[in-house]
Amino acid sequence: MRVPGQTVLSPLVTTSLYFLVFGWSLGSRLREVEGVPYARFIVPGLVMLGAVTNAFLNTSSSIMVMKLQGTMVDLLVSPLSYGEILGSFVGAAAIRGLLVGSVVWLVAAAFTGFEVAHPLFALFMLSLVAVTFGALGFVTGVWARTFEQVNFFPTFVITPLTFLGGVFYSAAMLPSPLRTLTLSNPLYYMVDALRWGMLGWSGAGPLAGAGFVALLCGLSLGTAYLILRSGWRLRG
Amino acid sequence: MLEPRPPRGREAGKGATLHRVPESVVTLRDVSKRYGTFAALDHVDLEVPRGEIFALLGPNGAGKTTLISIVAGLVRASAGSTLVLGRDVVSSYQFTRRAVGLVPQEINFDPFFTVEETLRIQAGYFGVRLRPERLEEILSALDLESKRHANTRSLSGGMKRRLLIGKALVHEPRVLFLDEPTAGVDVQLRQSLWAYVRTLRARGTTIVLTTHYLDEAEELADRVAVIAEGRILLVEEKRRLLERYAGKTLRVALSAAVGELPPPLAALGARLEDGGLAVAVVAPPGASFGPALAAIAAAGLPVRDVETRRMRLEDVFVSLLNRGAPRNSA
Repeated sequence: MRVPGQTVLSPLVTTSLYFLVFGWSLGSRLREVEGVPYARFIVPGLVMLGAVTNAFLNTSSSIMVMKLQGTMVDLLVSPLSYGEILGSFVGAAAIRGLLVGSVVWLVAAAFTGFEVAHPLFALFMLSLVAVTFGALGFVTGVWARTFEQVNFFPTFVITPLTFLGGVFYSAAMLPSPLRTLTLSNPLYYMVDALRWGMLGWSGAGPLAGAGFVALLCGLSLGTAYLILRSGWRLRG
Repeated sequence: MLEPRPPRGREAGKGATLHRVPESVVTLRDVSKRYGTFAALDHVDLEVPRGEIFALLGPNGAGKTTLISIVAGLVRASAGSTLVLGRDVVSSYQFTRRAVGLVPQEINFDPFFTVEETLRIQAGYFGVRLRPERLEEILSALDLESKRHANTRSLSGGMKRRLLIGKALVHEPRVLFLDEPTAGVDVQLRQSLWAYVRTLRARGTTIVLTTHYLDEAEELADRVAVIAEGRILLVEEKRRLLERYAGKTLRVALSAAVGELPPPLAALGARLEDGGLAVAVVAPPGASFGPALAAIAAAGLPVRDVETRRMRLEDVFVSLLNRGAPRNSA
């Protein structure tokens, strides 16, 4: 939070622009998707996009910066356990992801309404996703040798998958080949489950998304822990 | 021998009381580190006695930083065991890292924080709450009081290096590794850092120092290890090392040049310098200059001045490297 303009304000502005441009321009034409006003329909996807991207970048860029500055040494010679180090990084990433997601939701809700269908489930999903992508960011930060490598995943993997994961549309609206493509996108199930939590409507059912994210969360945390314990790319 | 200082930080809260501490604070047993086919350390055995200033000397690439990094936990050894206070640095890493402070060779700093914040964050890594008096002491000893609230990016190179030393001291380590601590630090400040290192030693902190300034090692060290190509060539008390290896040079300045040495002087290994205006004789450790002085007097050479100079650690170091001295722990 030393640089709130970069960590919170910047993603807030970007996501709000998505909301204003897509929600209001397309919303005036599409009006409703699956019985939900379009401007309201896209809010869970935008919240997810903000949370995922920022949780990922928080760990990956923090580790990359520490490696470049040489301050990673301070952490590596400390008596902190591997679990404590991983928990700190991923916890901070999850908090930033939740913070950005919440702020995006607040801005959108000012236009579309503040009611949330299943608030606890929505919070649970968002937290699980933020932890998952925080852990994936950790792995990427340790692996990467350059900032270009760090930026590869959010630019070429996360953002396209999120955009093609039903943020701005329902899979049922698409022709068959595109619908199959969307249904094979893991991010679709995350957005879909969060949409159930926030709007009460889901295409695939909330358990599919929750189950998938729980599995991915376990895998990413486990991988991050093993990498940290092995010292790969951190200790000589 | 009982260690007078109890464990600090979270260790203190786990019911640990006084520990029986071996004389050797750091022990390396048959430690090797290989990068592919390159051996950065090759079967190193080393013991660093408690409460001493221990200088690790060697040319660039000798393995000094690798050795220190293995003890501090930055590098994993390929073979052998490394102990700090009798505990293994891998299996008991939390214990050993609490006992070790590291001042790395490369300057690092986080430009988002001030000097005080940097020290507090570092203390947090060790589970230590930095008391105000301890903070004052570190800032004062390292002459950083006026920079307490300054952003680290505004510090000069010397100040950043001093901040590194401060970071390594926040958890009051029992053994402090200083990897080239005074590189880029001005002469006046070097003196004050040396004084602080001695203060730390007086308090019971063991200090392991690598330096390219051999006068620094000569000034500070109680014991010296020479390392080259990943192998320890010698470990010796500095005083005994200088006695054993350091010969003396007698230099006699003449008021008139001589063309050639009188045969008795030549037989003693003397040589002419400065175009015949000086005679120099090198004596091995323990030898007397009496025969050389007698030969000069007998030859009637016009003596203007007489000077003797003992070989310094630097000369010994170069001589040892050239000879590839045998491993000789003392």
